[in-house]
Amino acid sequence: MKTKTFARFVAPSVLLMLALMAAPLIVTFYLSVRNCVPDMETVKVTQSGPFGSSESITQRVKVDGTGKPITLCKFVGLDYYRSVLGLSASAASTAAVQDAPPGDSVQPAANNRSTEFVGALRFTLLYTFVTTPFVLLFGFLVALGVNHSTQKLRGTFITLSLMPFIITPVVAALSIKWLFRDNGLIPYFLSQFGISVFWMAEAWSARFLIILYGIWHSAPFAFIVLYAGLQSVPQDSLEAATIDGATRWQKLRYVTLPHLMPLIVFITLIHLMDSYRVFEPVLVLTQGAFTTSVQYLTYYTLVTETNPYKASAAAVLTTLGIFVLLIPLLVKTWKEQRRGA
Amino acid sequence: MKTTLIRRTLLATAALVAILPGIAQARCDKLQNAKAGEINIIGNSFPALAHIAKEMETCTQGGLKVQFKMTPQARTEIEQAFASQGKSAFDAAVVSGGVFTNLNALGQIQPMTDLVEKYKAKYKIEENMLVRVNGQVMAIAFMQNAQNLYYRKDLFDKHGIKAPTTYGEMLAAAKTLKEKEPSIEFPIAQTFSKGFDSQVEFVNMFVGSGGKFFKTGSAQPDFSSEAGIRALENMRAMTQFMTPNFLASNSDDVMNQFQQGKAAMGVLWASRAARMDDPAASKIVGKMEFAAAPAMAAGGKSATHLWWDGMVMPKNLNADRETVFQVMMEALDEETMKKGNDLTVWIRSAYKPTRFGTGVTASMRAGAPTWPTEPYFSLAQGEIGKVVPEVLSGAMAPKAALDAAAAAYTKAAMEKGFIK
Repeated sequence: MKTKTFARFVAPSVLLMLALMAAPLIVTFYLSVRNCVPDMETVKVTQSGPFGSSESITQRVKVDGTGKPITLCKFVGLDYYRSVLGLSASAASTAAVQDAPPGDSVQPAANNRSTEFVGALRFTLLYTFVTTPFVLLFGFLVALGVNHSTQKLRGTFITLSLMPFIITPVVAALSIKWLFRDNGLIPYFLSQFGISVFWMAEAWSARFLIILYGIWHSAPFAFIVLYAGLQSVPQDSLEAATIDGATRWQKLRYVTLPHLMPLIVFITLIHLMDSYRVFEPVLVLTQGAFTTSVQYLTYYTLVTETNPYKASAAAVLTTLGIFVLLIPLLVKTWKEQRRGA
Repeated sequence: MKTTLIRRTLLATAALVAILPGIAQARCDKLQNAKAGEINIIGNSFPALAHIAKEMETCTQGGLKVQFKMTPQARTEIEQAFASQGKSAFDAAVVSGGVFTNLNALGQIQPMTDLVEKYKAKYKIEENMLVRVNGQVMAIAFMQNAQNLYYRKDLFDKHGIKAPTTYGEMLAAAKTLKEKEPSIEFPIAQTFSKGFDSQVEFVNMFVGSGGKFFKTGSAQPDFSSEAGIRALENMRAMTQFMTPNFLASNSDDVMNQFQQGKAAMGVLWASRAARMDDPAASKIVGKMEFAAAPAMAAGGKSATHLWWDGMVMPKNLNADRETVFQVMMEALDEETMKKGNDLTVWIRSAYKPTRFGTGVTASMRAGAPTWPTEPYFSLAQGEIGKVVPEVLSGAMAPKAALDAAAAAYTKAAMEKGFIK
């Protein structure tokens, strides 16, 4: 292909990528190395309202001749990157540490942030590795069950089994919370046997609930993929195995499972990626008490970080993180392309 | 047979569709010089506001279209829209007193004094509804809310206990009930969940203990103090009478514990009170009474805060200013209020108080202050909110936790330009 023709074909997608990906990233980077603050002055304010009138000394923004608020901007370099990564305790927090009387243990905020991140990462990994095998196992068992049920019941079974996957995650997590909260169905049932567990009062039980939710919510996905796979298991191989005197277990182990292997790998990959983003149960069940996930931290930072310039630094770092994750995949694709050429 | 049924259903639907806008248009059709176009308004979702929003959306006179966005987290969107360099995505917003202070301090709200003067008579705007800053009307408040004491009158009478007026009495009452009342395992239910809920509880008890968040006349933190420690210790003392799930107890959970008759007292939002008598959800219809939130010490002020919710317009609004104002006032008029009398505690004088609003009035009489108004207050509140659960779960000592929050706040306030 001529270079010119090639360029014409590629141009639209390159332009789109520049406009939708590169440009916002550049703007975000520009924001992240700056800081703008309203120019505040201390004033006396009289405010009256439904609860009476009061006078207070507070801060208000200075305005220019046209009544527009004045904003002061300055270049701060990589300060926000250091602070997001927890590499620097800023001047302010060191000062406060020095102010504290000796003997008091004060953790610099930055230090706090990074241990928070490690904790979230640990739980995300735990969640991923505990839920994956169970999702596969339960998905496979349900698929086998539906496959062996009568034609009449199959439709109903499929719909029922897919339910947890269809329900909006937040609603699903809420229903789990309501099952387990005080006076919920499960604590009530257990109390009939004299067992009393407070599911949202300790780390182990809060984590257990989140993992339970994960398995319940994702197993239907494994089920539907494996069920589709079961439809395409070669019947002649199965018949040949029967003639050779294979037992049911042997047919499953040596014919069906090898046939499903690519699908199992596929489900595992998708579930690994989903797990990395676990979020709704963490938010709904405990609002992040006892346990957080990486995605929850991202959300928390976005919601509570009211400083857009610092949030920009976090956004740039997140994007860089994704690039680092993608490098092995890019290298592999590159190699395959070259081999193909 | 089937076809007739379908035809009938279709006819009925068509008739309904034709009639509905007619009914709706009966109201909100006397706007002056209304400019056609879209008006966008935003607010948090709660029952009283849903009532008002429905009213606003009937304003369709002369090609007007009102869209009301209700979300659980309106604050972030409001702050971003009002701060935008271009036109704001919303032409008006419903905010609480706390959010109002921030927007106003940043000079993003426009005064409505002239419009109020012009339309005062038409919409019966009462002076009490006007939030004035240095004389200028900056917001129009329509309802008030406060956290007040809920207590089970029947159980308190049974054991000869009086409604607690201080947290000390509350703990004593909880002890009695835990020992003597078999139906109650955890006497106290209160919103101690991580985030906004426990932040607000801390602020209530801190201010109730006479605490000051900032050094006078500056944005420097002053909350790592005796009052701060007292507030945290009080919260910890309460947890022994609460369900061990307290760190996950939000307003919904606390309401549920009351409705199920599992808890006997606690401080909760007045806007939940009517739900205590909802026979479909409550086992304790008529048994819950409401009083002022307890004080931190005998003779002290009620340890809660008064909140108002009201309408504001941004400086950078997109739609026609006067039209937006009229649409807001149509939905805040006396008629709308009367139709939704029981939904909340309205500010209009025509409001007929119900027994569910008694706690707010009592708290007000017991000296409850208004929510802090410093524009940097929400930064401090956010940082404190991060450490309160750590203290309640025993992972951090009160003093160390408050020091850490003060350090983190100072850093954030410097980045935002409040501390130079």
